[in-house]
Amino acid sequence: MSEERTLTLGGAIHEALHQEMERDSTVIIMGEDIVGGAGSDEPGAEDSWGGPMGITRGLVGKFGRERVRDTPISEAGFIGAAIGAAVTGLRPVAALMFVDFFGIPMDQIYNQGAKLRYMFGGKAKVPVVIRALIGAGVNAAAQHSQTLYSIFTHIPGLKVAVPSTPYDAKGLMCAAIRDDDPVFFLEHKTLLGQKGHVPEEPYIVPLGQALVRREGSDVTVVAIAKMVEVALAAAEELAAEGVNVEVVDPRTLSPLDTRTILESVEKTGRLIIVDEDTPRCSLATDIAALAADEAFYSLEAPIKRVTAPHTPVPFSPTLEAAYIPSKAQVAATIREVMSA
Amino acid sequence: MTELVEMNMIQALNNALDIHMHRESNAIIMGEDIGGFGGVFRVTEGLQQKYGPDRVFDTPLAETGIVGSAIGMALAGLQPIVEIQFADFVFPAFDQIVSEAAKYRYRSGGQYSIKMVIRMPYGGGIRGGHYHSQSPEAYFAHTPGLRVVIPSGPYQAKGLLLAALNCPDPVIFLEPKKIYRSLKAHVPEAYYAIPLEKATVVREGRDTTLVAYGAMMEVAREAVLLAEGEGYDIELIDLLSILPYDFKTVVTSVEKTGRLVVIQEAPRTCGFAAELLAEVQERAFTRLQAPLQRVTGFDTPFPYTLEDHYLPRVERVLDVLTKTIEY
Repeated sequence: MSEERTLTLGGAIHEALHQEMERDSTVIIMGEDIVGGAGSDEPGAEDSWGGPMGITRGLVGKFGRERVRDTPISEAGFIGAAIGAAVTGLRPVAALMFVDFFGIPMDQIYNQGAKLRYMFGGKAKVPVVIRALIGAGVNAAAQHSQTLYSIFTHIPGLKVAVPSTPYDAKGLMCAAIRDDDPVFFLEHKTLLGQKGHVPEEPYIVPLGQALVRREGSDVTVVAIAKMVEVALAAAEELAAEGVNVEVVDPRTLSPLDTRTILESVEKTGRLIIVDEDTPRCSLATDIAALAADEAFYSLEAPIKRVTAPHTPVPFSPTLEAAYIPSKAQVAATIREVMSA
Repeated sequence: MTELVEMNMIQALNNALDIHMHRESNAIIMGEDIGGFGGVFRVTEGLQQKYGPDRVFDTPLAETGIVGSAIGMALAGLQPIVEIQFADFVFPAFDQIVSEAAKYRYRSGGQYSIKMVIRMPYGGGIRGGHYHSQSPEAYFAHTPGLRVVIPSGPYQAKGLLLAALNCPDPVIFLEPKKIYRSLKAHVPEAYYAIPLEKATVVREGRDTTLVAYGAMMEVAREAVLLAEGEGYDIELIDLLSILPYDFKTVVTSVEKTGRLVVIQEAPRTCGFAAELLAEVQERAFTRLQAPLQRVTGFDTPFPYTLEDHYLPRVERVLDVLTKTIEY
């Protein structure tokens, strides 16, 4: 057998889009500059960009302008159009570019996309995927660095996927496209170049299934997206001190696999949530509230949250580094709950 | 001594706006149909006649434009008081609120502040159907740079609105429309302000702490009375400010009672009740005697026919209170 096949996380998303478009002619992709080269007559200008991270580069050559569509810089317009296209029979994958732009199409997302199935008594389905870049760490300041998944998780009717590995990125994207509900597919911009094993044939990672990334018996660390690798690094550090850390990656935040999280907490008796989002009314608080209710009897220490502070994301590299939850913070918090 | 006048919440809010418009010549009021018509709920009634169409004016039906231009006015030295007709309609203006207003001071290194209050009626219980019943407080509470305030009656409404109008930050002022007219109280006619970030212990008790805000305070009060009839002694806290909020009062109470129940009418997941549970379990862990509980709306869109089942009812609250105390 040949060497294990690897792709980057961004490459895995590209492959999922490509294969799903081949499999199902109703799948279309749309967004700002996802083709690129608009307005230029230069040979080869078309398809020059493939979105800000190049993920959709090459797809217009294969599938044509009808199915790979550049849109105006008008998020309310093209997200609204994608929702309409979904209701009327297509499976659009719309790229919002940076998740920070969600406020412009928020009404389309919140009051339309998320609710149409309910408002029509189950007779309408809205199979749209909205892709967006999340995360700090590239000095992109307050309006291009947020994670914001807690907002989408609070919205009934939306599903939210946050892959942390190339394998999950491909499997979750295939699942999201085939799902009949609107799915937010959030791509951490600092993970896009991360390499990992990705099978060539299409496959599904089901929405709503967490994965125990590392088994341990002393403390459960639930970590989201980029924070998974931070938690795993902290777990390695603590292993040298004789502490056995279990790391749970929810992979989708809505629906949230509460059973896997609670089973882990019942085993370890301790829970830390590592979340890059701002702390108030967040996934970190929701998972803490869940365990404070349903795993109350198992808890041997207060549930701790390691999150960003309740501020905008700073531009200054020094402040930004302090803003993002770090391995040192996670390790210190693990030591704290182990001594509680 | 100041005179007390019986008012409902509409009258109390109108009175607060009148006082502030009289005191601050930079203050202006804008929104859909808030001028001659006085707003769909009549909160601004009579103010255009009194202060003129330059200071109290109607806007087009364009929430992005309303909030965006208000931000510009605030930067240029005015103090806009914006009415969004229903909280359900605020979403077209979301980017202006969370990306611009909330971040302006931070992004300008403290050089600019957006002194602005955005008022909006929120919540269920009026057969308003899907797009006139929602409770969006958690989206705003998740956003750094905003304040979120929710009064529970006429007295609180006037004092909190006057405090919000004095605050240099953008304030989201959510008005529980279900109790706009149903609750009356004796309200001082003169100026007074209720401090932001301060919760009120409405009733002292020793068996469990119950926290609510907005229209859910009415449900909470009823549940406390019924529980009293069954021999339970409940401590009831009215949160008033959702962000920043007064966790100290809540934690002090839970340290005494060892138990916590929070009511919220918004959908459950990532809502404000979870915020309180997470914070309290961390700060009062060793005192806890029962699982912390939330009584909330459901993780579905707001239903028209099933409204009574969706909203936390007295029976649901009482049931959770009993289970928590008997745990």
